[in-house]
Amino acid sequence: MADLHAAGAPAALGLADPAMAQAQLERVITDLGRVYRERNDALRALARAHHEALLRLSIAAEFRDDDTGVHIVRMGFLAEALALALGQNAAWSKLLRMAAPMHDIGKIGVPDNVLKKPGPLTREEREVMNRHAQMGADILGASEVPLFKLASEVALSHHERFDGSGYPRGLAGAAIPLSGRIVAAVDYFDALTMDRCYRPAIQDKQALEMMAGERGRLFDPVVVDIFLDRADDMVALRDRINSHRPQFSALLDDEPLGAAVT
Amino acid sequence: MKKILIVEDQPDIRKLIRMTLEFEDYEIHEAADGAFGLRMASAVGPDLVLLDVMMPGELDGLQVCQRIKSDPKLAGLKVVLLTARGQARDREAGQLAGADDYLVKPFSPLQLIETIERLVAAV
Repeated sequence: MADLHAAGAPAALGLADPAMAQAQLERVITDLGRVYRERNDALRALARAHHEALLRLSIAAEFRDDDTGVHIVRMGFLAEALALALGQNAAWSKLLRMAAPMHDIGKIGVPDNVLKKPGPLTREEREVMNRHAQMGADILGASEVPLFKLASEVALSHHERFDGSGYPRGLAGAAIPLSGRIVAAVDYFDALTMDRCYRPAIQDKQALEMMAGERGRLFDPVVVDIFLDRADDMVALRDRINSHRPQFSALLDDEPLGAAVT
Repeated sequence: MKKILIVEDQPDIRKLIRMTLEFEDYEIHEAADGAFGLRMASAVGPDLVLLDVMMPGELDGLQVCQRIKSDPKLAGLKVVLLTARGQARDREAGQLAGADDYLVKPFSPLQLIETIERLVAAV
């Protein structure tokens, strides 16, 4: 090495040479870019795996409550459509589509003798049943990922009523998060218009009239008005989902509303 | 794809900025001085302009920023100033010129990409 210097070899092989310094910086930035993309891909994969696990748990909770599991898929798409109709931006609406299907995940913690009881619940059983909102929020809430924060908010607030008579917190009006107000209305309509073991589906027209009757009581009047205004679109979307039977992966994927069900 | 215009007189720095922006999927355009940058802004219609403050020529970065922000045809165009100066009054001058954000050289690649992501996500 000493000989090289002695022979007058260029000292400019180090960072003192501006061209070398620039080239080295470019290599570092290239590597940083690779690490940046790998990190983002890994975070996305992690969030997706977490979402998938929780969706599967939601489906398990839903199956226990006797349905085919399509209810929660419809909930996602109907909530997204209603959010868009209410003027919410596409990103939030899509997040709600992914979050809404997990609203009843807390039912996984409700014992069968309460969840599946055919007759009316006693006061104590009702209290046990109503705990599913808080349990769902707890299951979903241990995360800083926006999707799970929204899902937790929905689980906690989807049984609140606009007039303040709901649970678990008895919130009223705008104190109820918009996500909860949207999901409450969509859940009501979809639950009425599907077959249950104890009754056949209620006709759409009658269900819409029942929803109108709850305007300002159970539901936000603005949410009801927009739902009724777009009732034809909502029913058509629901029927498209029923005929295409998309799996819950349709809720997982980052695709626009139309792609999964058209 | 969102369009970003880099206005920076130093080719080496311009290249480092471009390489950083290529972490994400942006359509990237470059200009080497303020006057050309301003013409590019009208011609290309970018979503965001990254603007060096100190540039030789008729227009410095602050002046370009003022013109962008006062041109109704360029309404909504975000501007991030990039400068070697980080004094409080330089930030103030940037704010007065209407800049949406202000980054200091030597720039942090992660801070740059995160600032741009945040601003163009809101467009």
